[in-house]
Amino acid sequence: MDITNKKILVCDDSILARKQLMDAVKEVADGGTFIEGVNGQDAVDKYKAEKPDIVFMDIVMPEKDGTTALAEIKEFDNDAVIIIVSSVGTQEQLKKAIQLGAKDFIQKPFEKNQIKEIIELRLGGK
Amino acid sequence: MYTQFLGNYLLQQGLVTQDQLFNAMSRLSQTHIKLGTIAIHEGLMTANEVDECLYVQTREDKRFGEIAVERGYLLEDQVSELLSMQTPEFLLLGQNLVEDGIFSYEELERVMFDYKSDTELYDLSLDVENQDAVENIISKFFVMAELQPNDLNVMYLELMFNSLIRFIGEDFTPLTPMVLDEFPITFGVTQMVVGDHEFETHIDCDRETAIAFSSRYAKEDFGEFNEYIVAALEDFLNLHNGLFIVNVSNQLSKDISLSPPYITEEGVISGPNKCVDFPVAYPFGTVHLIVAF
Repeated sequence: MDITNKKILVCDDSILARKQLMDAVKEVADGGTFIEGVNGQDAVDKYKAEKPDIVFMDIVMPEKDGTTALAEIKEFDNDAVIIIVSSVGTQEQLKKAIQLGAKDFIQKPFEKNQIKEIIELRLGGK
Repeated sequence: MYTQFLGNYLLQQGLVTQDQLFNAMSRLSQTHIKLGTIAIHEGLMTANEVDECLYVQTREDKRFGEIAVERGYLLEDQVSELLSMQTPEFLLLGQNLVEDGIFSYEELERVMFDYKSDTELYDLSLDVENQDAVENIISKFFVMAELQPNDLNVMYLELMFNSLIRFIGEDFTPLTPMVLDEFPITFGVTQMVVGDHEFETHIDCDRETAIAFSSRYAKEDFGEFNEYIVAALEDFLNLHNGLFIVNVSNQLSKDISLSPPYITEEGVISGPNKCVDFPVAYPFGTVHLIVAF
């Protein structure tokens, strides 16, 4: 799958999680521009600056958590495609993320197939 | 988890050395259960009868089951039934120790009997672990540390052992826990659980152990210490604590959350009350899980 013209924002305070996520996307798709964010505020700032096609974002992050960042990004762009990738998934947090407009929730540690499905679904048809 | 508990018991009783245990543990995934081992476990043959059949097997080209039937120790139906049984892993550990010459079958039979009495595991079901029995053994880890077990800390430790099995590997042995006023940090990562039930968690180990631990977690071969090692430790702790708060939140309706994990390279861990050190030994080194209540 060719995603040459697509921008992907990967936001996680863990450098390992960012690397593994980018590795997983690269395995299923060619091209694409990766933008990295290290906390919730960074995610909001980089979203506004780059307008990525898809955002993968953790919940537990320093400075600003993923749920707050999600709300701020959706306020800026209601069409933002945001996928929560987190090990933390209480029913309350899940409900909140979905209410705020998250498109999907991936539980860590994720399988590469899950990333593939998301990429195909969210970027394949565009 | 019975395998890890059995390892702890064998070490505590001085019946095996750590090296002997690691050696036997490391072969678990490649080991197949032998009919004799399972027949002893099921109470259908004695250790002496198994030894006798094994001896005959060295002189006659026959299967163990055939010999046991010929000698009247087993019925043919029983052989088929034993062969179709699911094998609990802790039996494989015992069998490996017999193969390594650490125990005879007779000694293994006695050790297993003592282990069952000690842990009150009278109903060692073959393929399903009894939840009450697991919780009972986990509670004993707190008693060993002279700490009162309760639902939350038993759940925490049980989940930790499960997380280790799931994300790092089953070849570990929990060592005897210790209660400390403060724990001197070697190297590791710390994370606070905050809300209705607050406590500090920390994973501590030396850097070489951290490299091996993180390599297993990330399924990558990190040859040297780098930022990915720290990140993997943080991810593991965050993942494990995340599973815990999901369980607590869903089962007990308590409101708790996590602060982001951070690296700790010096100082001490101390809580308002006590710190508990739950060490677990892997073949690549010992990892200390510290909980400061």
